[in-house]
Amino acid sequence: MNNDETKPDALGVSLKSIEPSDGDIELVVRLSNTATRALHYIADVRVTKYNPDTKTLTLSLSDEGREVIPGAIGKLPVFRFIDPESEVEIRLRVPNRIVKLSRTAPPGELAFVTHQLSDVEEIVINIAWADVPYYKDTRVKDDKQFPTVRWQQHKTRATKSLKGGHKPKS
Amino acid sequence: MPLFILDDATGIGSDDLDTSQAFIDLVIIANDDGVGLNDPASGMQQVTYSRTLNGAPQQRLDALVNTTFSPDYGSGAQNVDIIVIPGLSGFTLDDGTSFANNGTALPPASSGLPGATLNTTENCLVIYDTQQNICVARDGTGGDIDLPISNPVVLYHEFSHAFRILNNTLLGLTAECDPSSPEENAAIIDENDLRTDIANRQGETPELRDPGIHCGNVGCDSGCCIIATVASKSFTSPQVQYLRSVRDHFVRSTEVGYTFFEKFFRDYYSFSPQVCTIMASNPSISNHFLEGYINPLLDFWKVMIERSKQRFSDVDLGAEFVRQCPDRSQAEARLDALQLTATYWLNQDSNDSEVPIELITLLRKRAWPSDHIQWALVAPVRIYYDMLERYLNGADEETIGREFNCLLEDWAPEVPLSDVWASLPKEQVVKELEFCGSALLQSTNNKKRFYQRLKDRFHNITSIKVVLNGLSDVTGGV
Repeated sequence: MNNDETKPDALGVSLKSIEPSDGDIELVVRLSNTATRALHYIADVRVTKYNPDTKTLTLSLSDEGREVIPGAIGKLPVFRFIDPESEVEIRLRVPNRIVKLSRTAPPGELAFVTHQLSDVEEIVINIAWADVPYYKDTRVKDDKQFPTVRWQQHKTRATKSLKGGHKPKS
Repeated sequence: MPLFILDDATGIGSDDLDTSQAFIDLVIIANDDGVGLNDPASGMQQVTYSRTLNGAPQQRLDALVNTTFSPDYGSGAQNVDIIVIPGLSGFTLDDGTSFANNGTALPPASSGLPGATLNTTENCLVIYDTQQNICVARDGTGGDIDLPISNPVVLYHEFSHAFRILNNTLLGLTAECDPSSPEENAAIIDENDLRTDIANRQGETPELRDPGIHCGNVGCDSGCCIIATVASKSFTSPQVQYLRSVRDHFVRSTEVGYTFFEKFFRDYYSFSPQVCTIMASNPSISNHFLEGYINPLLDFWKVMIERSKQRFSDVDLGAEFVRQCPDRSQAEARLDALQLTATYWLNQDSNDSEVPIELITLLRKRAWPSDHIQWALVAPVRIYYDMLERYLNGADEETIGREFNCLLEDWAPEVPLSDVWASLPKEQVVKELEFCGSALLQSTNNKKRFYQRLKDRFHNITSIKVVLNGLSDVTGGV
């Protein structure tokens, strides 16, 4: 980043609504850019985590924390930008449940644990962004780190409590 | 004998897994007699294979099914089985990675290989989405991500990883998808073996994936235009190719168009496979569909695409419509076919005994409520029907063009609005409006109506407000 730094709070994020939609859950997220230049951000969910103890669903529009594993494709993020001093809305879809491998099953048993997102009491959204577009870094680097993590300058977090209503119905 | 398909497990139900699809994918990979599935035991079904063919996919499958793998990852040899987990909706790894539209092969937990910490078992888990809609880089294009990847190919790609995991010969992995890592490069080369094998079976030229690029996107439907495919009896008929071309070079060429297509595609595939099943058991419906629906729809869009290239006067538009019409006798036959279509597709209130009630019920439930289907697939054929009637009644080109333009005024600006408008920056809004203006709207009235709809819907979105206010000369104070 140059000396004419964009402040970390230049991108504001808030969760406007959360509704069931065709068996999924659709969230409308409102972004506001208070900076005098365009900000570039990841616009799709890259990491989905659920904490059953706190009933917190965390959706990260960032590759931070992901492991490098074999796979059919290296799925590219969706990048968007927001004009200076303006507001936009994006829509995110997540399935209405999360299924994970169980870590409490007896040794040797392949078992799963399912979390219904109708139980969620708090939603956290993290959005990775930078004041420059994503570009490929051609320098020698740690090849286990996702290139979008090297690109992102900031991550904005928004939290919304769903206690007392506005829960998605499963 | 280490290859199993998961059928049931603690924490999920058997309905959550797409075991039958996984077996179909295995059968397609093998294309050989002797592929079987044992009865379920402990929530799994063991795959059996007695190979009679010598192709690369058959040999690889034979090795995976009929070898006992005992790799030594550093703490002594251990037997490792492969368990295929097909189509588990909502499946997410501990690091938060979702497997919608992807697949993976996870090494055993104690192996120390990449992904091992995400596995809770000492088996190699092959996980893939059987509802995937993935697009990958086509070989020889320098990275165009427009090559579909079918379920058997995804599964075979993961089998390639699994084979090296079981032999403890996994190659290097990186987070970069371009260039692909050595491990992904090897899996794509194997994947191309299956692509070649499948193409050879069908006497077609193989479409291969670029082994140097592992990047991919969601949204590469290989099953475009399924009704046209069934009606014309070919994936490669001129009708299907034209509809693909409209989709890729016209509709999906902009952000708004792309998003429109995504919603349209979702709605379309909520009923079209069942329509094809009904067509298969009702040959008269199938034969009727081509001339009574597909060709009129195509000819409508051909006129619209020509119109998008230049401003047409009434007489130009009428002349273009007439130019796209078949000769008179065929046009009369088409009108007859359209009249039958009208009973169940255009009027949408039919109890016509010629039309299977299951088709009407399906369309009533799934197709007609969709504004995307109404706008893109119903209204155009209705307009075409009106114009063809006028043409056959002897109307001249100017009259046809004038009436056509009138009908377009009611139709074009009512295109369903996508929420993606709300996420676009000003510059993009301007570009999208320019495209809509030239490709679809054209007339001042159409533009006014469309801008008003945008303004009503997105009244609190900065970029749209700013751009539309700047267009007040066109909107007339909208």
